[in-house]
Amino acid sequence: MGRRLPARRGPGGSDGGRARLRVVSAEPYPDWESVYRDNVDRVFRLIFSRVGNRADAEDLTGEVFLRALRPLRLSASVGEVRTYLVATSRTVLAEHWRRTLGREITTFDDERDVAEAVPDLVDARAGERAERILAALPERYALVLRLRFLQGCSLKEVAARLGVTVANAKVLQHRAVRRAGEVAGGVET
Amino acid sequence: MSGRFARGRRRGPVGDQEAADKRAEVLLRAAGVDQGPPDEKFVEALRARLGRELEPEADRGRRRFVQFTSVAAASAAVGVAVDRLVVDTAPTAETPATVVPETGEWRAVVAGRDLPEGGVRPFDVGVLSGFVERVGGQVRGVSGVCTHLGCKLKLAAATRELDCPCHRTSFAVDGVVLRHQLPAQPRPLPKLLVRESGGQVEVFIPTTPA
Repeated sequence: MGRRLPARRGPGGSDGGRARLRVVSAEPYPDWESVYRDNVDRVFRLIFSRVGNRADAEDLTGEVFLRALRPLRLSASVGEVRTYLVATSRTVLAEHWRRTLGREITTFDDERDVAEAVPDLVDARAGERAERILAALPERYALVLRLRFLQGCSLKEVAARLGVTVANAKVLQHRAVRRAGEVAGGVET
Repeated sequence: MSGRFARGRRRGPVGDQEAADKRAEVLLRAAGVDQGPPDEKFVEALRARLGRELEPEADRGRRRFVQFTSVAAASAAVGVAVDRLVVDTAPTAETPATVVPETGEWRAVVAGRDLPEGGVRPFDVGVLSGFVERVGGQVRGVSGVCTHLGCKLKLAAATRELDCPCHRTSFAVDGVVLRHQLPAQPRPLPKLLVRESGGQVEVFIPTTPA
């Protein structure tokens, strides 16, 4: 009802070629629903890129909006709102890891960058990070991990593809994850 | 509440190796086939949940407002007979400067023929600015000043809305708040006493401003 998204760009908000990647406006949102509609995709993908599964990403996305929207001042600009949502996402993510594994596993490094990124860019960056990790691994390890985690194959399918037993595939995956873990430590999130 | 301090929840944080393994898995899965926009059902479900959790405040305002408009409508019906300016439209005691002139005069703001059925006309007589409209043959009017911070409202003729240029609040021509982005719902616009006399639409305005 009466939803009006700020379509116009704020003053000084356009900078040529980068404008396509940026939809940040200096104008405020008209209501909480606009904030939600405009940001749910971005926040979800952002969190997904740090938890790696949709179920957790959905839970945490809900938490972010529930926590962020109530005290949100709608007079804040679109850019400020997004930065605030990312900051909230960071807190929610940190709490999620501490709650589940007792320590932070992944974090957000560059909030502003992320706040201004279009949702697809978030996915693209996650892709780049994964490729950096895989590129540093022996071919066979990389293949196992690509099949298992990127393509979502079952262990059985992986075993069939590699021509090994399921037990072997499991061991292979275990070793591959360990090596990837060593590599991932040096990959910025 | 986060469970961090819950007893017996975890033995302690996972070790470095397990954390590294988990991190690798997460970063790889994050690039996997599950990537992409959130599920539409999830988006709608969360929207509904947020509505339930967030609306109470907004709703309270809206409900209060609905109640109020019926009261206002009732008093307007009565007020027609009473030659007195009834403009206190606020539901709360904390009412802004209400236009209730002790002394005033009828001032023509637009020719009757220039205000056809369904038409809206802005007017500004210095001490008072507002909008008059004709609905069901009757003329009526509201203050043209936003009840939030007093910015002068602009008429968006196409949508018949009165828009505040300061904080994007929009009112209907009968004073009802249509949209706002403020922490609390602003009050509806005060109604003005309007009549048609001698072919002129006249508004009762104060002659000795307070």
